[in-house]
Amino acid sequence: MKRILGIVLAFALIGGVITAVVLGRDDSEASGTTTVRGVIGSEKADFLNDPEVLDALADRGFAVETESSGSWDMKDMDLKGADFAFPGSAAPADALGRAHRVQGSPLRPFYSPLVVLARRPAAKTLAANGYVKLTGPAGREGSGTLRMDPFLKAAGKDTTWQELKGSGEYAELKGTLSITSTDPLASNSGALYLATAAYVANGNRLVSDAEGVAAVTPLTRKLTAVQGRQNVNSEDLFRDFTVGVGTPLVLAYESQIAALLIRGDTVPDLVVLYPDTTVFSDHTLVPLTEQGRKFGELLQRDPTLRGLAVRHGFRPVGGSAEFAAATAKHGTYLRQKLTGTVQQAPVPTAEVMREITSRSRAQK
Amino acid sequence: MRRTTRRLAAHRSAIHRLAARLLAVRPFGPGARGRAALPATEPAAATPRTGPRRRTPRSLSTTAAVLALALTAGCSSSDGGSDDDDNGKRRAPGTLRVLASSELSDLSSVLKDAERATGVKIEPTWTGTLDGAQTVASGRADGTYDAVWLASNDYLRLLTGEQKKIRTETPIVSSPVALGVREGAVKRLGWEPGRVTWSDVHKAVTDGKLTYGMTDPVRSNSGYSALIALTSALSGAQSALTDADVRAASPKLREFFAGQKLTSGSSGWLAEAFARRAGQRPPVDALINYESVLLSLQRGKLLGHDGERGADSDTATTEPVAGIGDLTVIRPTDGVVTADYPLSLLTSADQGARDSYASLTRYLRSPEAQRALTRETFRRPVNSSVPPTDGIAREPRRELPFPGSRDVADRLLDSYENELRRPSRTVYVLDTSGSMDEERLGRLKAALRKLTGSDDSATGKRFRDREEVTLMPFSDQVKEVNTHTVPEREPARALDLIRADVDGLVAGGDTAIYSSLQEAYRHLGERASKAGDDRFTSIVLMTDGENTTGAKAGDFDAFYRGLSGDQRSVPVFPILFGDSDRTELEHIADLTGGQLFDAVEGSLDGAFEEIRGYQ
Repeated sequence: MKRILGIVLAFALIGGVITAVVLGRDDSEASGTTTVRGVIGSEKADFLNDPEVLDALADRGFAVETESSGSWDMKDMDLKGADFAFPGSAAPADALGRAHRVQGSPLRPFYSPLVVLARRPAAKTLAANGYVKLTGPAGREGSGTLRMDPFLKAAGKDTTWQELKGSGEYAELKGTLSITSTDPLASNSGALYLATAAYVANGNRLVSDAEGVAAVTPLTRKLTAVQGRQNVNSEDLFRDFTVGVGTPLVLAYESQIAALLIRGDTVPDLVVLYPDTTVFSDHTLVPLTEQGRKFGELLQRDPTLRGLAVRHGFRPVGGSAEFAAATAKHGTYLRQKLTGTVQQAPVPTAEVMREITSRSRAQK
Repeated sequence: MRRTTRRLAAHRSAIHRLAARLLAVRPFGPGARGRAALPATEPAAATPRTGPRRRTPRSLSTTAAVLALALTAGCSSSDGGSDDDDNGKRRAPGTLRVLASSELSDLSSVLKDAERATGVKIEPTWTGTLDGAQTVASGRADGTYDAVWLASNDYLRLLTGEQKKIRTETPIVSSPVALGVREGAVKRLGWEPGRVTWSDVHKAVTDGKLTYGMTDPVRSNSGYSALIALTSALSGAQSALTDADVRAASPKLREFFAGQKLTSGSSGWLAEAFARRAGQRPPVDALINYESVLLSLQRGKLLGHDGERGADSDTATTEPVAGIGDLTVIRPTDGVVTADYPLSLLTSADQGARDSYASLTRYLRSPEAQRALTRETFRRPVNSSVPPTDGIAREPRRELPFPGSRDVADRLLDSYENELRRPSRTVYVLDTSGSMDEERLGRLKAALRKLTGSDDSATGKRFRDREEVTLMPFSDQVKEVNTHTVPEREPARALDLIRADVDGLVAGGDTAIYSSLQEAYRHLGERASKAGDDRFTSIVLMTDGENTTGAKAGDFDAFYRGLSGDQRSVPVFPILFGDSDRTELEHIADLTGGQLFDAVEGSLDGAFEEIRGYQ
């Protein structure tokens, strides 16, 4: 009896599904909404899940479903059913574009420089030892410049926080001097950190061949090894920093801390350090379908969406005024203009990048 | 005005999503699975690809939702009658088959809310974090599970290396591994909770002023995390651990582990055992466990297990364990290791599972779910807009790195297992009565033989170096008492001897469970006084039937109560097997502070292996 009831109900259900599917399709065609799926770097998850962004997209006929992944991990993912991939920079995007034979150029709606986040005790200790130049009134410094060359030299020599003068006041400043980043093999920001270090160690010249890679490997290996197991997602690392977990210096996208400040949150004793040599991370959308391309073009061109991207801390390409306006109140922490104060390190090709990151992890 | 509109839109879209979800999911649910009458439609096809996220006319959404709900109700009533041909391997749409750390069984009410909100039901299989990581790395999870939800993916990532087993991961909550200390000990040691280091803890233990419990690092993430923190602190490591650090810390670690009084294969059971010891003399002073477990225990909100572990025990929780109100939670200032519970989608998961995963994680990271999670389980939210619940300290804390290479991680475990930990003394009371037919005896021998290992046995899979193992086969009475100690150098010979004893087991006679257990306690008393050493001591009881001769249950109870305090702290771990009597064995486990393992539902080797974590 139960079984018969089950079968009857099952048929009723199928009927229901068919009805709903048909109705649903009619409805969506009427409103012309297209759902695009994409794999994104975790640093853009908040942006692409923001109800206002979803509303704005819906007004323009798009719904978006995303999943987060390390930018370099996307290359090995099954992307069947995805309309786009949206890694954190050009190198993994190039690799993806080649792997999926993408025609036409990738889309770069916005970018964000890599910064180093610290609490004031760590920043002041670095300043007292000449690695950082702080800005802002004493006791309330919120920003500074990290001098990469001497810092990396000290890190390369296993200098510890305890050896720095002035660190004794702070119990949490212990261990080897290092910047905590994501896993360079999996994630964009971790890889770009090593690319910057390689550029600086190579005398501010781009590392472009095997010889160059070999020369910087002792340093990159050290920078990686001291960290032990690394996070895959930059967002997880950033979140730990905001709640006071972890290590004194954390690599982040400027957009992450800018978004936090713009929405009115704070981190106690925050100091945003801009490395004097850093990489601008070009968030690059690789379209895998026609809808994916249209979606990417919309992000790049639409003023409302550009405005929302700024609210999430990103710098739209050719939109320095938009960024300056949104961050005007947060000058203590953020730099509106990067030119003149921050040197942009060029990023090696995807192949050289892979070589740098994989050798940094090799045991011997 | 704009806000209201948005909220309405969100509300409508939620209803529609729910409707779409239910419609996509339920028709192919458990009740209908495998029925020939149903077309095998891909669930993804039922979800309109160009599905609107909002702007659905309300009437349609509502209709769909009502229809879906009505149909759902109908469907679930047919569930009971059609489970006969369910192979249990395929994923029912709308469910997510998750291999999860056992301590997450305390999330059940939040997961019910999640199911209500998203239509996605989690089908959990409980495991230890390290075992779970091995299951995923070996490929055994592919196709059997859609996702894995362990305390941390650190060890898993070391095991999998370059092969990508995880498609995406989302941390849901976090909890550092901390130290809970009873008030008496805090006072005695004159500790200021905010200033204690692991070195202070080590000193207190070696001075004989502090006893503690900790889980087995080979099986449980909280124990492994503590081992990493201790090794870092005691070696003076300045960055991620290296082999040299492990070597440097070894002498101090050995001293530290000599003071360990409780061990366990799971953090939940350890807390229960600690609470149980609170009423006895001498009590245990401290407990190394997740901050969340310590706070739950402190507030009397830790849920107990239903007295059984084993492959398929669904850890139905019963009433809370008696609270330990005077527990102070200390996060040593030289650093802790934190579990971040990443819900992780396997690369082998299909599109339907990916969708379920996406809506489930979105819900679990929402402020509403995060508030419930921190309030009910004392874990820390990962959504920065939600503050941690009262009682969770907010000061910044130093996080210690997890080893970056598998060599170091494994070497640390191996040193713990074979050199550093307090050695154990284990008696196996084995039923070899007439009811143990060839098949059952064969399974017993195979399971024991496995514990004698081979040259390349992974850490934790065989009897440990320095372990004293006694096999005590019985029928009408104990037939033999064979004791071997596995030496640190050339353990193979002793393991061979144990294996020979196992091979020699023969069945025949009646079943004298209680008399044989009494014999085991007497044997342990003699061994301990003769050797004059201090070991983790336990009894494993394997029987396939009821007690038919010798001492009765009441006799054993009286015998046990007459034992010295030290002897009473020896737990019996009974294994349910064949036709053994669950009530009888549960009583033995409860009386002695042991735990019942199920080899009727699960496998016998599985039970023997899981018990290793408690020995």
